[in-house]
Amino acid sequence: MEVSRLPVSASTRGKLISAGYTSFSSLSNFSPSELAIAVKIPEKEADEILKLATHDGKSDNTKGTQAVVSGGQTAWDMLKEDEGLRCITTSCAALDKILGGGINCKEVTEIGGVPGIGKTQLGIQLAINVQIPHEHGGLAAKAIYIDTEGSFMVERVLQIAAACLSEYYELPRRGSNANQPNRQPQDLLENIYYFRVCSYTEQIAAINYLGKFIKEHKEVKIVIVDSITFHFRQDFENMALRTRLLSELALKLMKVANEFKLAVVLLNQVTTKYSEGSVHLTLALGDSWSHASTNRIILHWNANERYAYIDKSPTLQSSSAPYAVTGKGIRDSVSDHKRAKLM
Amino acid sequence: MRPEILLPAQKCTLGCPILDQFLAGGVPCGSITELSGESGSGKTQLALQLLLSAQLPLSLGGLSASSLYLHSEPPYPFRRFEQLSKAFYLSYPQLFDSVECVCNNVHVQDLHSADHLFDVVLKLDSALAEESRKAMPIKVIVIDSIAALFRSEFENTPFDLKRRASLFFKISIKLKLLAKRYGIAVLVTNQVVDVMRSSGDLNALRIGNIDLYSSGRRICPALGISWASCVNSRLFLSMNEEIVGNAMGEGDANISCRRTKREMHVVFAPHLPSSSCEYVINREGVFGVGGQIKASVSGTSFKSDASKNPTFLLCDKDYSCGKSVTLDSFSS
Repeated sequence: MEVSRLPVSASTRGKLISAGYTSFSSLSNFSPSELAIAVKIPEKEADEILKLATHDGKSDNTKGTQAVVSGGQTAWDMLKEDEGLRCITTSCAALDKILGGGINCKEVTEIGGVPGIGKTQLGIQLAINVQIPHEHGGLAAKAIYIDTEGSFMVERVLQIAAACLSEYYELPRRGSNANQPNRQPQDLLENIYYFRVCSYTEQIAAINYLGKFIKEHKEVKIVIVDSITFHFRQDFENMALRTRLLSELALKLMKVANEFKLAVVLLNQVTTKYSEGSVHLTLALGDSWSHASTNRIILHWNANERYAYIDKSPTLQSSSAPYAVTGKGIRDSVSDHKRAKLM
Repeated sequence: MRPEILLPAQKCTLGCPILDQFLAGGVPCGSITELSGESGSGKTQLALQLLLSAQLPLSLGGLSASSLYLHSEPPYPFRRFEQLSKAFYLSYPQLFDSVECVCNNVHVQDLHSADHLFDVVLKLDSALAEESRKAMPIKVIVIDSIAALFRSEFENTPFDLKRRASLFFKISIKLKLLAKRYGIAVLVTNQVVDVMRSSGDLNALRIGNIDLYSSGRRICPALGISWASCVNSRLFLSMNEEIVGNAMGEGDANISCRRTKREMHVVFAPHLPSSSCEYVINREGVFGVGGQIKASVSGTSFKSDASKNPTFLLCDKDYSCGKSVTLDSFSS
């Protein structure tokens, strides 16, 4: 947590930063009077700052790592933590395999493809799958769905939810669950916090607000933006402004992913690109945007099959896998199944 | 900001139970549905039928609302509209006082350029706000057709295409905003273009799960991939001639009977599987043919709820679609 985000007056923040106090950890050893002298501010204000700083530090640090001391973690800690994180399954085994188990928490994953390839379907599937209970290897968490295009159809979510319920929840389980009432698709729907944004200003506002919202709803483990692109494809008078706005959004989303250890999934559209006289398809928003996400997955057609291709990832090998969109949601491709049997 | 309460989207009936079932209730409110097809495939007819059906009460699948028809392809099809509104009135004589009442709930506006459409859409916001206080607010907007506006005005140069794409997004953003704010079903008709590419490129440029053929030609909806990114659902109307059997003609000559097989396809939609449904056009309008809903050819598509449930409302009395299969455009 940085001092630049302290909810105090700008001039006080300026004083703190110019005196070299940029992170909360650098303030942690001060008493109010010491800080007042060091930064030349009234003691009352210093007291307030310290209260805010320590309060924030505590809520940031629920897991008890030593992060506050130095404002960072060791690589070992991070590795340990990473092992403890669970992936969110896509419900397609082939896709999970190339993704190393599913969509990773603490990462921003961008998924792009032509209209009708199943981006929204995958988004809805993930919003449901994040709710799979612990005993089935899930996160038993909630989802935030930011819809910019209006393609989130409740009836379809209920279909996918019903399929998910019949697979995971109603399996005979030992223990005390017999008394629990059966869960309904409607219950899964209620665990999706849905925001519909109708302009790019609303989109920016929604993403700025994410941090605050998630602080109040700690169960959220996935944020899906469907799509990040739509409102940014109209003509911006100032293309530099567009790039700035987008990279700011990307930074905020990365921060949210890291801070709350949740998965961020950004859906993207495709556009045609002219280069050297030929036309080919590429993900929208340009070259600078391609740095915005940790992983980039491209969905495409191959004959009659849908394929997912890992275009960019720091940890995953680039490879592709077929998947299918069925009545139940995203599933393994049927022909892939046959191939597997033949082998 | 607060998360929204999620409710299933309201739908507006197309005025035919079979087509409604095919589309899981009709044209959804709050999003943009595109209807594309060759000229003569019945786009405008379906559009007119939707405009009329909007005024049906909720119990009959309508929105008990009036509708707005933005049309850009002269001439205005008023003769056909009159026929359809008469048929519509006769189907529900107990609901409406006269044919005039039925027609009065359909507002019409000309469009003459893409920029004009954008202006109209901008002005609609305040008009719709006023409308929403009336007894019959506008809940259906049809743009017929979007292609006519965009195909003439723009050159095929990168600069113009970029300008065009930008205008698509501007218009679509505004339309979706209106659709969301006032719970409006937006239907946009589109023309088609022939696909002329080597098969190698096809995978990359393919949109949706089905290859679209009509009149024996490989075609796709016009306006390219950026427009495809602007709509939520895409429906496609195809017509293909098929031989229904040989009949003995006068003299000894065999005359093969042909008819046009018309089908509606779901190319992509967030709530529908790719599937198709046969329909016919007769004097009373456009009607689905019972039991014809098929899942798409490739194994990746998902079955619609409708296909699980084969009890379609076969040929309501009013609709006489059984007969019209054979009446529809014979040629010898």
